[in-house]
Amino acid sequence: MTRVPLPPKDAKTYRTVCQFCIVGCGYRVFKWPEGADGAAAPDANALGVDFREPQPADGEWISPAMHSQIHEKDGKTYNVAIVPDNECVVNSGMASVRGGGLAQTLYSPKRGTKVRLSTPLVAKAEGFDNASWNDAVDLGARVIKAVIDRWGADAVGMKFFDHGGGGGGFENNWAVGRFFFSGVGTRTASIHNRPAYNSEVHAAGDAGLVALTNAYVDAQLADTILIVGANPYETQTNYFLNHMIRNLNGESADLKGSTFPGEDAPSGRMIIVDPRRTISVATAEAAAGKENVLHLQIEPGTDIAVLNAISRIVLERRWHDVAFIKQRTEWQTFEAYQRSSLGADRDASEFVRVAAELAGVDEKDLYKAAEWIAKPKKNKARRRTLLHYEKGLIWGLKNYENIASIIDLALLSGNVGKPGTGVSRLGGHQEGYVRPPYPGGRPALNVDEAVHRGEAKVFWVGGCNPVLTTLRAEKMEATLKERGRPVRDALVRTAGRPVGERVTAVVEALKDGGMFILTQDIYMTATARHAHLVLPAAQWGEMNITSINGERRLRLYQRFMDPPGAAIPDWKIMALFAKRLNKLYQQDRNPLMANRFLDYDWRGDEDVFIHARYSFKGDGNDPPEGYAGITYNLLKDLGNNGIQTPVRLVNRVPVGTVRMHEDGKFFTPSGKAKFIAAPRPWPGYASAVERQRKNYRFWINNGRANHIWQTIYHHRHIDFYRERYPVPLLEIHAEDAIELGISAGDLLEVSNDVGTVEAMAYVTDAVKRNHAFMLFGQPRGAVGDLISDHVDPKTTIPYYKGVWADIKRIGPMPESAKTASFLPRNIAE
Amino acid sequence: MSGVNRRDFIKTSVAGIAAATTVGAAAKSPNAATKTEYPVVDVAPLGSLAPGAEVAFDYPDADSPAVLLRLAAPVAGGIGPNKDIVAYSMLCTHKGCPLNYLADRQMLVCPCHWSSFDPAKSGRLVIGQASQSLPSVQLDVADGMVRATGVDGLIYGRHTNIL
Repeated sequence: MTRVPLPPKDAKTYRTVCQFCIVGCGYRVFKWPEGADGAAAPDANALGVDFREPQPADGEWISPAMHSQIHEKDGKTYNVAIVPDNECVVNSGMASVRGGGLAQTLYSPKRGTKVRLSTPLVAKAEGFDNASWNDAVDLGARVIKAVIDRWGADAVGMKFFDHGGGGGGFENNWAVGRFFFSGVGTRTASIHNRPAYNSEVHAAGDAGLVALTNAYVDAQLADTILIVGANPYETQTNYFLNHMIRNLNGESADLKGSTFPGEDAPSGRMIIVDPRRTISVATAEAAAGKENVLHLQIEPGTDIAVLNAISRIVLERRWHDVAFIKQRTEWQTFEAYQRSSLGADRDASEFVRVAAELAGVDEKDLYKAAEWIAKPKKNKARRRTLLHYEKGLIWGLKNYENIASIIDLALLSGNVGKPGTGVSRLGGHQEGYVRPPYPGGRPALNVDEAVHRGEAKVFWVGGCNPVLTTLRAEKMEATLKERGRPVRDALVRTAGRPVGERVTAVVEALKDGGMFILTQDIYMTATARHAHLVLPAAQWGEMNITSINGERRLRLYQRFMDPPGAAIPDWKIMALFAKRLNKLYQQDRNPLMANRFLDYDWRGDEDVFIHARYSFKGDGNDPPEGYAGITYNLLKDLGNNGIQTPVRLVNRVPVGTVRMHEDGKFFTPSGKAKFIAAPRPWPGYASAVERQRKNYRFWINNGRANHIWQTIYHHRHIDFYRERYPVPLLEIHAEDAIELGISAGDLLEVSNDVGTVEAMAYVTDAVKRNHAFMLFGQPRGAVGDLISDHVDPKTTIPYYKGVWADIKRIGPMPESAKTASFLPRNIAE
Repeated sequence: MSGVNRRDFIKTSVAGIAAATTVGAAAKSPNAATKTEYPVVDVAPLGSLAPGAEVAFDYPDADSPAVLLRLAAPVAGGIGPNKDIVAYSMLCTHKGCPLNYLADRQMLVCPCHWSSFDPAKSGRLVIGQASQSLPSVQLDVADGMVRATGVDGLIYGRHTNIL
C-alpha cells in the first residue's frame, strides 16, 4: 500500500490499550465511514498533523498496518486507524511490532480474520452444525446439570483465561469465576497456560509480596536492573525501550537527579540471566556500553544456584540491608534462609565456585553481579536495584524455589518498596483477576490428569488452546479425541431429536468414559475441533473491558466495533448458562442449586465491572487489583494513564498506588516479609527430567518471539506476521548445525520419548552448543508435544522449559523459507 | 557508527548524480490503486555497481533518503544481470529514524530502537518494532543506467508517497 486514508476531523475517537502483552501500551482509535476521509492539512484531519509535509523521526504517523476497514452490522463500511498514544506514559507514542498491527486483527469478511467464529456450533459426524444460542446453551446447561447431579461438581472440569487484555479483563474474569466457583462449585479448574488453578508465584505470596511491586518509572530510576529468565525487548517491548533503555543510555539522568538529590546516581547497569544471547542483551549493550551490561549465559535450570550464590556473596561482603531485614522481615526466617538456601555453614568461596561451575559461568561474574546489585554507593547510600523475572524462572526447574531465590535476594538487599527498586514479574499477559475464591486447596488438583483419568465428565475450555500449549500436548489431543468420540456419536445418533433425548444419550456416553467438551473462543482452534459445543466470543474492541498492566495501571479499553455474527462477550456466555441452569434447577424444585446461579442480569459491560468490585473496600487492605470506587466514566476521564491499583478511597476520592510495599508492610499475619528457605542451594533435576536430559542431546529452550503473540491465533491470519515465521523457529548453534548438516531454513524433526514436532532451522550464535530455542505453542509444531508431565509437586507448575530432545534434518523447504529471514535476530549495531 | 560514516561518504560521492539527473518523464506507479505519478530518477550506471555496492540517493523527493544495494546473490525482486540489485527507503517504518546498512551482514538496522530489515527478502522485518516491511524503490535499467521509477510500500511519515 502506498497510501493511508486520514481520519477526518469528525471521526469517532476512542481510547484503548493494546490487547497483547503485559506492558499495555496506550492507543487511540479513529473510526469514520468509507468515503469520508480527512485531508492533509492539520485542520482537516483528526490527528491535527500537517501531512502536507513528511513527519520527522519520532513524529506521529499512521502506518498502513495501523489502518483497516471493517464492515458493521448497520451494513456500512468504516475505516479504523489504531495509533499509539503520545500521551500515555507507558509507551509515549511508541508501538511495538504487535501493537502496530492491531488494526489488522479486527474482524472483516474481506481479510484473513474472516475465519472468526460467528455462530454457536454443535458437533455432527464430521465438523459442526450451526446452532442458535438458545439451543446451544440449553444442550450445554442440561449436560452440565446432569453431570453435577450424577457425579458431583468436580466432574465439571475447566481450563480458562484468568488474565487481562484481549480475551480477558475484569469483566470476563468475574463472570467465569462466579459461574464455576460460586455456581458449579468445581475444584477441577485450571488456568489457561497450566494444568491447575494456582499462582505462578506462590513463593512470592508466601513471602508476603505481590507479583507486581514496582512502577515502570522505577526502571528509569534504578542503579541496576536484574533480568532473570526474560527477554524484554521481544516480550515486554515498550517497558524495555521506553523505560529501561532510557536509564541505560543516560536519558533519565535528570529524573534521577531530581528524584534523588545529592545521591550518586549514574546511568543504569543491567544484569541479564538468560541461556541465550538475546536481542535484549545486544540492545542493552548498545545503550549502556558493554562494560555496564553483564550477561550470565547459564545452563538450564541453574538460575536458583546462581541467585543463591549472588546472595551468599552479598551476605559475605556484609552488603545486605541490615536495617531493612531487622525492621521489615521476620528475623527467624532470615536465619533459616542463611542456613539452608545459602549454605552458611559451608565455605563461601567454595559455595560460589560450585554454583559457577554448575551454571557454566565465570565465577568473577557472580561477584560482579553481587557488587552491582548490593554494594553500597558513596556515602553508604543503598544501591537501588530493580529485580525482574518471568517465564525462565516461573516455568523453570523448580517453580517454588526459583521464585523464592529472587524474592530472597530482593529482601536481603532491601530492594523493595522504594523508588528505583522492586522485585516483580515482567509478566506475560496483562492482569485483571477478580473472582470468588477457588474452592480447591494447595497444591491444586492437576486437571490434565483428571481429564486423562476420566474424572472430568465435562471439559470447558475458554480462550486457550491446550492441544498446543499444555504439557504432553499430544496426549491431551488423543484424550480429547478418544473421550470425545462416544459423545459425538451420541449427538449424531440423536440429531434432530428433542433435547431431553439428546442429553440422555450424552449421559450414557459419559458413563462409558466419554467427556463432553465445550470451547469458547474467537477462532476454531486445534482444541475447538474436538469440541461438541463451540461458543463464539467477542474480542477486544467488540466489548468494553478493563485490565491492569505490569505496573498495575488500570484503564478502560473501549468498544469501537460490532462482534461478528452472533459472537458475544465471554461474560454474556457465562450469564446465559447461569440463567439456564437457574431455570433448570427451579424446574427440578432444587432451590439450593438454583440459587447458586442467581444475579446474572447484567445489562452491560460496566454492570459486570461494578458487580465484580463489591469486595474491594479501598481501605488499604485490598488485593493488588483492588479498584474500589472506580467507574467507567472515571476511567474515561483518566484516559490511557488510568490509575494504578490498588485504589484507596480517601474522603471517597480514589487514590492510586504507584509502588507496592512502600509503607513497609507485607501481606503476612505479622505484616513483615518472610525469607523463604529452600532445603538446598540447588535442588537438582527431578528424576523424570533427568532421564530425558541423559537420553537426548539438545536442550529445547522455548518461548515467544517478538512478532508473534502466543499461539499465533491472530497473527496466522495476517501476512506480515505469518510470512515471517511460516514454520516455528528453532535456533541452533552454527557448529551444531554444521555437525548435523543443517542449513538455515531446513525443516527439522525434533523428537524425544514424549513426542515429535517439526520446526525450521535458524543458525545462530545466540544459543550455546547443545542448546536450542524453539517458538512455543505453534500449530505447525507445538513444543508442548515434547514436554514431560513432570510438575513441581509443591505448586503443580510444570517445567515447560525443561525439554531435551534430538534434532534431525528432514530437508530444505524452499517455499516456506522464501518469506522467512535468516539474518541474526540479535544485532544492535 | 561505521555504517553511518560509510553511508555519508558514499552519499557525498554520488550526490551529484542523484540530485542532478531527475528526468522529466514520469513512470506509472507499480501500485495501480494509487495512480500516483512517480518521477524517474537516475541512480547509478549499472557498470559502476560492483558486488557489495551501496549508493545513497533520495527518492521520490529530497526528504526521502534511499539506498541502492548490490547484494551477494540473486534475490526475489532484484534487477540487473544477476538479479541482485535492490533499493529501499532508508527511513525506519517504526519511528522514522535513518537506518544504517551493515554491509558485512547485508542488513539494515535502525539505531533508535534496533528494528532490522533484510534487503534480500523484500525489506522484511528481521526483528524489531516496525509493523511493515521497508518500502522498496522500484528500479529499471535504461541505456546502462539504473533508474528509480516508483515505490512499493508507504514511506515513513507520509500518508501518500508523493506529497
